[in-house]
Order: sequence, then structure tokens, then C-alpha cells
Amino acid sequence: MNCLDFRRRLGAEPHCNDADFLRHRQDCPGCAEAQARALAFEQTLRQALAVPPPAELAEAVLLAHATRQQRLRRVYRRGALLALAASLVLAFGIGLRVEARPLTDQAVEHLRAEAVTLTFTQPVTAQAVRDAFASRGLALREVPDGITFVACCPMGRHRTVHLVMSGEGGAVSVIYVVDVRTGAREDFQHGGWQGRSVPLGAGTLILLAQDGSRFDAVERAWRAALDAR
Amino acid sequence: MVSSKQRQFDALVRSLSGDLFRYAYWLCGDEALAHDLVQETFLRAWRALDDLRETAAAKAWLITILRREHARLYERKTPQFTSVDEIDVPEERGAHLPEFSGEENLIRNAMRRLDPKYRDPLLLQVLGGFSCDEIARELKLTPAAVMTQVFRARQKLKALLGGDSREGSVHELP
Ligand SMILES: [Zn+2]
Ligand SMILES: [Zn+2]
Repeated sequence: MNCLDFRRRLGAEPHCNDADFLRHRQDCPGCAEAQARALAFEQTLRQALAVPPPAELAEAVLLAHATRQQRLRRVYRRGALLALAASLVLAFGIGLRVEARPLTDQAVEHLRAEAVTLTFTQPVTAQAVRDAFASRGLALREVPDGITFVACCPMGRHRTVHLVMSGEGGAVSVIYVVDVRTGAREDFQHGGWQGRSVPLGAGTLILLAQDGSRFDAVERAWRAALDAR
Repeated sequence: MVSSKQRQFDALVRSLSGDLFRYAYWLCGDEALAHDLVQETFLRAWRALDDLRETAAAKAWLITILRREHARLYERKTPQFTSVDEIDVPEERGAHLPEFSGEENLIRNAMRRLDPKYRDPLLLQVLGGFSCDEIARELKLTPAAVMTQVFRARQKLKALLGGDSREGSVHELP
């Protein structure tokens, strides 16, 4: 290998450790120095590309996986091909209508699928909450207390931050739909849940619980955290 | 009861989701899309997990799946790298974000401006840990063409950095 071959190889594969390559480096101080510079650049390049992943990324993936497994088990339990065929038809139908369904329906469905989140009791860090909102392009002014779950869940075609707030009187699930703002603030009942939907910032805050007595306090906390002014 | 398949899957998610996210981010240019891509990739990987023979090959295997997902979902979109500038605002990610030096920021900007034809093989090499032969298979190119592209990718990066690019220029060698 000559200097030209070495430099060509170096530019393409700075970490090359072929015998020819190493032998030339040993014999040629100029090329050895060039490799040292190239490796320093590689190091900087690697650091520059090291974008920090969102907090709780692994947890969100594992939760999505567990949720899908649960759904599949439910489908299969109902009985073989017939159920599968029916669910395909259903999924197709829902797929077409999904945007016509109210956000609140989608939120209830999302919670049913992720009911396990209501059992989480370990507080998550304020930084994890800030990171989740930051990854949806939002900066929180403050982080409400008592959050025991946070994930950036897709909900239909919407982007959300999904949280659970534990406390006296049971858990309140909070889904902040980042990309759509509904018209009016309203309370609703849906499939055994009490709910509240609040237009807030550029999005919609949806609260769901078995018992809505903490809604006022939770809504205040999120207004303080999210409202522009 | 947790199956051994489930344990293997958990371990993969915990150990590789960060690496996969970095790759996805530079592939699609958007943090939220990268998050969704990583999620979809693992959901697909679960179904094919029996195909994975050696754990050492897991990262390359997952990146291959991720690239397929990306092509399927976002092919028509070119990377816009819109959200990264918001993320870089210090008060948003503040203490959590590692300090990027001035030079690293320059490299990140240069990387965003690099033609995908060069960025793509370079990412597979630097973030994916692929060899030139593996990149060639993945991108359906010859190994020689890949060598040329990653060589030029570095040259162009250094040129965009405005620095001394003689390093990569074979013409000026003694
Ligand atoms: Zn030499
Ligand atoms: Zn969720």
C-alpha cells in the first residue's frame, strides 16, 4: 500500500484495520499523523450526531408493544379466522371514519387500550415531562405535581402527550392533543368515564377519570403549565 | 409469566432504542417522526424476532427494518430538519442536553445540508456501524461506489465546515 492508497482508504474508512493499512501506517509518519487527525474528526462527528433520544423512549415502545399484544390476544380469543376477518373489516371501516370521530371518543379508546398506565405509582421526573413536551415542540412553564406516567402517544392521526396524575380520589388521565384545538370547553360522560375537554394553547387538553372531582385543580395546573399568557 | 422471547425483546428495546432514534432522526429530520419510526420498527421486529440469530447483529438488523418502514411511510417526504432548531433552544431541553461545542453545531448544520446521496451511506457507517460491503448490499450499490461516497461525504462535510479540506483530497498528496 502506498500513501495514495492509504489516504483514499482513510477517507472512506478511518477505523480501517486491514493488515496492509496498519503496516503502511507503521512505516509512514505522515500517514500516521493523518490518521490521528481523521480519527479526531470522526470523534467530533459522532458527538455531533448524538442527538439525545426522548426520555422514556424505551418505556413508550414497550408499552405500545404490550398494548398491541393485548389487543391481538383479545382478537384471537374470540375465535380464529372469523374474528380476524371481522376485525379487518372493522379496522377498514374505522380507518375511513377515524377523523370524523370526536377526540373524546378516541381518548377513551386510547385509555382503555392502555389501562395498565393507571396502575403506575412511581413519580416520573419533571425533566421527563419537559422532554416529552419538548419533543412535541412545546416548552412547559412549570411541571404539575403528581405525574406517574408520561409518553408521547400517537392517537389516530394526532400527536399527543399522555400523562397520568395520581392522588387523593384516584388517578386522572391527561391527554394533551398537540395538533388540534376543539371549539368549546365541555364536560362529558363516556363509557363509565367522566371527562373534560378544554381548548388550550394550540391544542386540546382531555381529562378522564372514574371520578371527576379533581378536574378543576388538574385543569388549573395545566393552564399554568401550558397557556401562553 | 415472561417468555424468553419477551425478555430478549425488552433487552433489545432498552439497549438499542437510543441508537435507533439517533439514526432515525438523521434519516428523517424530525424528532416526533423519528420517535414513531423507532416504535414501528420494534413492533415489526417482534414479529420477525425468530429471524434474528445473533444478538451482535441486532443493531444492523433493526436499522434495516427501520429503513424499510421509513421508505414505506415517509418516502415522499425529504428531510426538513425543522424541529431540531427548536430542540436546540437551551431553555427547552436545558440541563438535559449535552453541551454541543461550536464545532459540533457546525457539523450538525453541515450534515443537514449534505446531499442524501452522501449522507445516507455515511449515517449507515458512522451511526449504524455498517461495513462498506454491508452498506453496498443495503443501498444496492457496488462496494467501490460506497467507498467513493463515504470518502466524498467526509470531504464535503469538511468543505461545508469551511475548514481545511486538503485532508481528504488525494490530489495534493506528495
Ligand atoms: Zn504514507
Ligand atoms: Zn398513551
